[in-house]
Amino acid sequence: MDVRAQIVMAFHLDKCIGCHTCSLACKNIWSDRRGTEYMWWNNVETRPGVGYPRGWEDQERYRGGGVAEGKNVNLKSMGKGRTLASLFFQPNLPRIEDYYEPFDYDYGNLAGAPEGDDQPVARALSQVSGQPIEHIQGSANWDDDLGGSRLYAASDPNLPDAAIVESYATMFMQYLPRICNHCLHPSCVASCPSRALYKRGEDGVVLVDQNTCRGWRFCISACPYKKVYFNWKSGKAEKCIFCYPRVETGQVNACAQSCVGRIRFVGVLLYDADGVAEALLQKDADLVEATRALILDPKDREVQKAAAKNGVSEQWIEAAIGSPVYALVKEFRLALPLHPEFRTMPMTYYIPSLSPVLSTMGDTYRLMEKGTISLPETLRVPVDYLARLLAGGNRGIVEEVMRKLYAVRVFMRGENLGQPADPAILQQAGLDREGALRLYRLFTIAGFNERNVIPPQQREGQTPELRKQEAGFGILQRVKSERNDLTRRGGKDD
Amino acid sequence: MNTFIFVALPYLVLALLFLVTIYRYLTNRLTWSAYSTELLERRLLYWGSNPWHYGIIPLLLFHLVPFLFPGLAAGFLGNQQTLLVLESLGLGLALLALLGILILTLRRVNTAMLKRSTYFSDWLILFLLLVQVGSGVYIAVALRWGSLWYLHAAVPYFWSIWSANPQPEYLADLPAVVKVHAACAFLILGVLPFTKLVHLLYLPIDFLKDQPILYRWRGRE
Ligand code: SF4
Ligand code: SF4
Repeated sequence: MDVRAQIVMAFHLDKCIGCHTCSLACKNIWSDRRGTEYMWWNNVETRPGVGYPRGWEDQERYRGGGVAEGKNVNLKSMGKGRTLASLFFQPNLPRIEDYYEPFDYDYGNLAGAPEGDDQPVARALSQVSGQPIEHIQGSANWDDDLGGSRLYAASDPNLPDAAIVESYATMFMQYLPRICNHCLHPSCVASCPSRALYKRGEDGVVLVDQNTCRGWRFCISACPYKKVYFNWKSGKAEKCIFCYPRVETGQVNACAQSCVGRIRFVGVLLYDADGVAEALLQKDADLVEATRALILDPKDREVQKAAAKNGVSEQWIEAAIGSPVYALVKEFRLALPLHPEFRTMPMTYYIPSLSPVLSTMGDTYRLMEKGTISLPETLRVPVDYLARLLAGGNRGIVEEVMRKLYAVRVFMRGENLGQPADPAILQQAGLDREGALRLYRLFTIAGFNERNVIPPQQREGQTPELRKQEAGFGILQRVKSERNDLTRRGGKDD
Repeated sequence: MNTFIFVALPYLVLALLFLVTIYRYLTNRLTWSAYSTELLERRLLYWGSNPWHYGIIPLLLFHLVPFLFPGLAAGFLGNQQTLLVLESLGLGLALLALLGILILTLRRVNTAMLKRSTYFSDWLILFLLLVQVGSGVYIAVALRWGSLWYLHAAVPYFWSIWSANPQPEYLADLPAVVKVHAACAFLILGVLPFTKLVHLLYLPIDFLKDQPILYRWRGRE
């Protein structure tokens, strides 16, 4: 048993209101530099839809993620020999149009235009070329709220039947916020010929070493979630850094901190690193269970001992015990990984949204009466859809989650009305009174420090020799991230 | 003139190559990149970058082998048949590289998306490489059996440079186009550490032997 710690985010999709506050918080801190305009390390997409970049789930096109071949999980993209042969042209790389050509407006013209007969306008300008854009072709959320669109929604590869979104009676819509999943078996890391990407041993955060990256671009297509981006200005890859400068000091990620719907939970999971490769060889439908099996109970003495032996501090073990993410993922089995069948073992988890029941009047009545969903088929968001998104196609797993979510709701309704619900409802869903109350609390009134349990890392204690003789002062090095070789700019900076 | 091209220039270039490259490596690795523009334009890049690299890399090796293993090269070049094969192969690769670099240059000129990610240094090396490959093709076509006199004139000259006893006489009487080819080669090496050409100094081969997933622990190497 090789026990390691991973810092993990979980999302309660029911509560996401699609406000994009998270995306903006992230962008303002990390990706508002030249070359990163088109990057959204955190993005929120409307589902069903094609997402950002367009069609990222289509691995026949981008060839991201892993495939189980015999006793190994190999990259879907290419082997090592072909990697070397593709250095000069990487065949699976998305084009900027697959994201979108970033734009800004010529606001200066509003105030500075010469006098004339017409109102001056602010034209859209490309942030890549600086040229005017006549027709903006897209953005990171161009299909926002278009859950019924033939152009976008109907192309969602997870839809069991595209006709669903075309009829008013059956169409549905929900939001899916996405960050880098900081996977346990990250294919971005595996694909890098320069070995610039790495997973941090202490907290599992996956990072790109900007000093080592040479811009070969394999990680960008190898990540099945398209969460590594290419900075066209610096010529290097960049990605979500799980706000490590904040998380290291016990603060919450910018996206989670700013989340309006308070849908995000951040906490520590302990897992068995020895089992990862084996677990990834399972069939698609068994991957969720295999992942759950790797997550260890932090209260178990043996686990604690093994963790301590690996250098996991007491504070971290404590945080793992109080981790809301552990409760949601393992204890209550509610939060599911996004597309586990991409075989990178993603470490962000989603509680699927509890959707209304699509029904004739009788069904709704029965639901109110009996308090449970008689048939998962009656859910407005097709269970098959969620299963393809979050469970490798395994309906049973999603149905179990739905039963629990309904049971909590029915139970709490009874409590609030003073007409306690039939205890069998909780029991059938695999919950008890105490558990239901805990979930209710986590989903509704839990405060900031209950939703986010982040232990500080005390880096100074881990490598004291690095700080010796600095007397509290480090040496500040100016970062030169822009090209300054024999160069003059090709275009004017705005 | 000969002294400048064949004595001063090579030493200047060697000094730049070693000192600037090491300085840049130690102080600013953040700009050490191939500066790919594939994200912004990929259709022409495919037809430019592939022929260019697949042409120029074997050609560079062809230039390097006689320098390092003169005996081996003499064996191949001494034989009429292998000489013919090698010369035609070289010409073919040179034409491939020429096609590639032409497409890459036109691509830079014509693609609006690349305007802001193209620098003076990019134009400079495109120009130098065009001259270099162009003169190389001309030599291969007009002055036959170049590989033979390369072995017998250029290689001893390179060794004389390397052993700090420059003997420009070896090359002094060669046609002007050969001198252009040589001077341009030195220039390319000289500007290399200032441009994105540094990407060729780093071969990404570590991953061939590594485990797929790389971990880094603080305080551990
Ligand atoms: S989601 Fe993140 S860690 Fe996983 S493969 Fe993509 S970039 Fe790598
Ligand atoms: S801030 Fe929260 S509620 Fe708003 S879009 Fe992001 S995840 Fe959803």
